[in-house]
Amino acid sequence: MQETPILDSDGAAPVLRVDSLTRDYPGVRAVDTVSFDIAPGTVHCLVGENGAGKSTLVKMLTGALEPTSGTMQVLGRDYAPANPQEARDGGLATLFQELHVVEELTVQENLTLGMEQSRFGFLVSSDLDRRVVETLKAIEPSIDPKARVSALSVAQKQIVEIARAASSGASIIIMDEPTAALSEREVERLFGVIRRLKASGVTVIYISHKLDEIFQLGDMVTVLRDGKHIATQPLSEVDGRSELIEMMIGRTVFQTYEPRTAVTDEVMLSAEGLSNRLLKDVSFAIRKGEIVGFYGLIGAGKTEIARAIFGADRVSGEIRFKGAPVAASPKKALAAGIALVPEERRTQGLFTSLSIRENIPVMNLRNMSEAGLYRSGLERDAADDYVRRLNIATSSIDKHTEKLSGGNQQKVVFAKCLFSEADLLLLDEPTRGVDVGAKTEIYDIIRDLADAGKAVAVFSSELEEVLGICDRVFLLFDGAVQEEITNGPDVDIAHILNVVTGGQGAVQ
Amino acid sequence: MMSETVPRPAPHTRRRMSDESFITLLVAGVAVGLFLFASLMVPNFFQVQNMINLVTNNWAVISLGIGVTFLLVSGNFDLSVGGIVALSGVLSVWFAQAAGDGNPLSVGLGLPYPLALACALAGAMAIGALNALFVVRFGIPSIIVTLGTMMVARGIAQVITHGSQRNTNLPPEFGYLGNLSMFGTSVKFAVVLMAVLLLVAVFIEKRMVFGRITYWIGTNPVAATLSGIDRGWHITKLYLFSSAIAGIVGILLASEFKSGYSNRGTLMEFDALVIALLGGVAIAGGFGSVIGMFFGAIILAVVTSAATGLVLSPDWQYILKAIAVFLAIVAQTWALARRNR
Repeated sequence: MQETPILDSDGAAPVLRVDSLTRDYPGVRAVDTVSFDIAPGTVHCLVGENGAGKSTLVKMLTGALEPTSGTMQVLGRDYAPANPQEARDGGLATLFQELHVVEELTVQENLTLGMEQSRFGFLVSSDLDRRVVETLKAIEPSIDPKARVSALSVAQKQIVEIARAASSGASIIIMDEPTAALSEREVERLFGVIRRLKASGVTVIYISHKLDEIFQLGDMVTVLRDGKHIATQPLSEVDGRSELIEMMIGRTVFQTYEPRTAVTDEVMLSAEGLSNRLLKDVSFAIRKGEIVGFYGLIGAGKTEIARAIFGADRVSGEIRFKGAPVAASPKKALAAGIALVPEERRTQGLFTSLSIRENIPVMNLRNMSEAGLYRSGLERDAADDYVRRLNIATSSIDKHTEKLSGGNQQKVVFAKCLFSEADLLLLDEPTRGVDVGAKTEIYDIIRDLADAGKAVAVFSSELEEVLGICDRVFLLFDGAVQEEITNGPDVDIAHILNVVTGGQGAVQ
Repeated sequence: MMSETVPRPAPHTRRRMSDESFITLLVAGVAVGLFLFASLMVPNFFQVQNMINLVTNNWAVISLGIGVTFLLVSGNFDLSVGGIVALSGVLSVWFAQAAGDGNPLSVGLGLPYPLALACALAGAMAIGALNALFVVRFGIPSIIVTLGTMMVARGIAQVITHGSQRNTNLPPEFGYLGNLSMFGTSVKFAVVLMAVLLLVAVFIEKRMVFGRITYWIGTNPVAATLSGIDRGWHITKLYLFSSAIAGIVGILLASEFKSGYSNRGTLMEFDALVIALLGGVAIAGGFGSVIGMFFGAIILAVVTSAATGLVLSPDWQYILKAIAVFLAIVAQTWALARRNR
């Protein structure tokens, strides 16, 4: 199955050359002098943990971000896209996780979108139409060009996007976690498409957390770690998952976890056999005073578990909180004493056009009302109190939350939940997009909460985070709990990464 | 947990007027400015009676504007209020008309008068319930739903009146409410009711949890739900209140003219929307106030009455409304952007 990769040493010019590429963010170097070549007509995989710099690198390749320094070349020519359009013109197309197809149009209309030809203002059919239909037929004959895109499955829509990229003459197609939303059969079909693309001379840059896919599909692999380039080599020379994982994690030193004394035996929440569209028979218990982690990669089911407990999504199975079943609605979950810090702070957690003061009371309306009257005095006091306690950096409690930094916004969302006086806090990606200083402060807040007798569940795709603060960790893959581990100094990181990437020990 | 001695933020953080107060003041300023300008241009415009008339002549639209404003703030449209005005008026007449034989337009259900009014109000609120059902339960955009129920309401009124009006065979007390003057002046009951509704609405908006919830939903419906707010039930209540106000307006107008007319209240839904927008209510929700809407109504009334009283024929009133709306929205956008720069 493995084609021999065309290497530079064989004389083939690289289709893409990345030379000393660097990107700085305030206080952090996300990509650090990375250099590597990609040979034409290969599937080149890009791997690394969260925060290794993959997405920053991809953003620079696609023109969404400007490098701080360093250069790129496509087919020997200098390549410095100022925006995604220039990247496309340069022959580099991207398949993002969110699809960019127009649901109301047919497949063919989507393929020629923006390239329509007209005469006297009327659309005319042209060579272009024939060409795109041929491209589509070549990579996936089963899709009818006349079909409406809204009638297609996610996988088929993806293939339509790939066909659009291919027919627009792209020589490189970047695919970022393309299988996150696909079923096993659809993944097979996508792989078929990718192989046919490769056969036609297109280069594919493939990014995935699922290591099995990488071994199945890839010719070459580039490993990034902490923004640095670790290796670029043929996958045939990589000795299995363990070697790849080792390259990915290196000798990363995690923040040392200190066993906590506040953990009790009293079960606060128990879940039995939770199942829905994504979850498969998930069971667990969370105890009073405990910080429990749910660790998995994108699409593993973390957010789904949090939303199921909070009653935001439908789920079968049984959830009991303090011994009683929880009714399936956020309002009732909150009334029972469960609060959620949602995954997307700006769209799900904050009222960005309102002030800090107006954000904090929303989850505790019982206390905000006195005979129906709104207690604005309490609102001010609570805002003052939480700004001080959580050290929210702001000039005033009347400041609009959209003007705060990510870390301070997240603290406001925390303040909302804390003010609700819930006993169980569900924290979905609690430190995503938060700077290092605020991160540490948030971890301290979480520990204080658990020490004060609350139960905390942290849903995270950052291993450092869960191993830094959680007492127990549930490892998730493919919507199921694969393993439960107790945190401690002897935690086997390679084993954890193996499990959450679908390796041995994982129940498929 | 909240101690008594919480320190206030540092003194250098002078409390800034909220955007909402800013816009409301701006709108009120424009209303007063326009009135003074019109007083200079139009002879006899600057009179106490004229000022009163600007408000009293618009009691119906201002009353409807209350429900429409609350719904807009929550991120929803209500275009059905004009239709409901027609429906509830026609229903109140039909229910109150004496039963028996004769000309179909003269024969009603013969219900006792108070019961007839209650049933007419229930009919109006049924339209509100229908709005809520489609918007909340089926998730259909409110602009489409209420455009539909606007026609449903007026359509039912049209069928009941055979496309004409019902004005015979009514009990003598039918015309009482709509023509009742209060406090020994010429101020009508409907105007007093409008004032009371306005005061209650401002109180709910500023001082009650109900008002706050409306803003939270309008600012970010997803975050509101994930913060434990029952969004569907709140929006249902808003539609029921809005339709109840429209029902009362329809009943009072029917009483005033002692007739049920299926074309009554035509375009009132748009006027109510226009005054809310003029008053600084954001069409995307989450921002605006009932006081702003009130001054929006004054702006519209000054512009149309002054201009049509002086130079232009009444045919120009739609053009003038259009210009006022465009200017107001451009001015607000500009003022807010400048302020938050």
